[in-house]
Amino acid sequence: MEDGVTATQVVFWILAVVMLISAIGVVTAGNIVYAALFFIASLAGVAGIYLILTVEFIALVQLLIYGSAVVILILFALMLTRARERPQALFGRSRPLGIAASLGLLAALIGGIVATTWTTPESSAAIQPVGLQAIGDAIFTIWIVPFIIVGVLLSIALDGAIMLASPDEDDN
Amino acid sequence: MPPLEHILVVNAVLFAIGAMGVLTRRNAVLILLSVELMLNAVSLNMVAFAVYGHVDFGNITGVIFAFFIIVIAAAEVALALGIVVRTFRNRATANVDEVNLLKW
Repeated sequence: MEDGVTATQVVFWILAVVMLISAIGVVTAGNIVYAALFFIASLAGVAGIYLILTVEFIALVQLLIYGSAVVILILFALMLTRARERPQALFGRSRPLGIAASLGLLAALIGGIVATTWTTPESSAAIQPVGLQAIGDAIFTIWIVPFIIVGVLLSIALDGAIMLASPDEDDN
Repeated sequence: MPPLEHILVVNAVLFAIGAMGVLTRRNAVLILLSVELMLNAVSLNMVAFAVYGHVDFGNITGVIFAFFIIVIAAAEVALALGIVVRTFRNRATANVDEVNLLKW
């Protein structure tokens, strides 16, 4: 049992380091397509951490929706909006200010986490996996109204996106 | 299982990296990617709290929240990319600091 716990932690930290390095690549890469590819790696790292946290369902949803649909949409948008005529700067003028603000945010968050006393189960044996059946029961009983609303919202948003992106009739 | 604090710290770092991308990038699509990183950090946090607390508190609401966050993020990405494509057609740019029609 003790060995298993250690192995899980080692895998967690490997995934976390890969995820964070890829995230830094997303926000600092000089090439837009490289940033999108780093984003895929970061999403895969997050899905791996979901697997470590024993929620396979969310990991699958993450890979299916983020890893395929969202990434393909973003790649299409990158290709449709590539300004070819001139090279352009990827960072705004306020870059040092932005880096300082995000570091301040990080310090505040980590300070809050360290200062709080978390009442978690001491041994990992007390942590039960969240089963797929429990998630399904919760979604289709307690959360059924938000589930339907979010489905309607999703279809409205996709119709609206098609309306926004399609050319006007008087454009041609 | 890693301790809860380690997961929270990793998520805080991921959130701050996403905030840095939002504050420093010019391209609207890259800003959107950074927002997605921040959303990922938040939903990972929700799942961590749910997994570490569902024995004591008897519910898994955090996991459901992560599921809804992912669905809403998909809708948001579709709408935002539609707006970016439309802006590019009207203004021939995808940089947020060059879309200054409302600026006097």
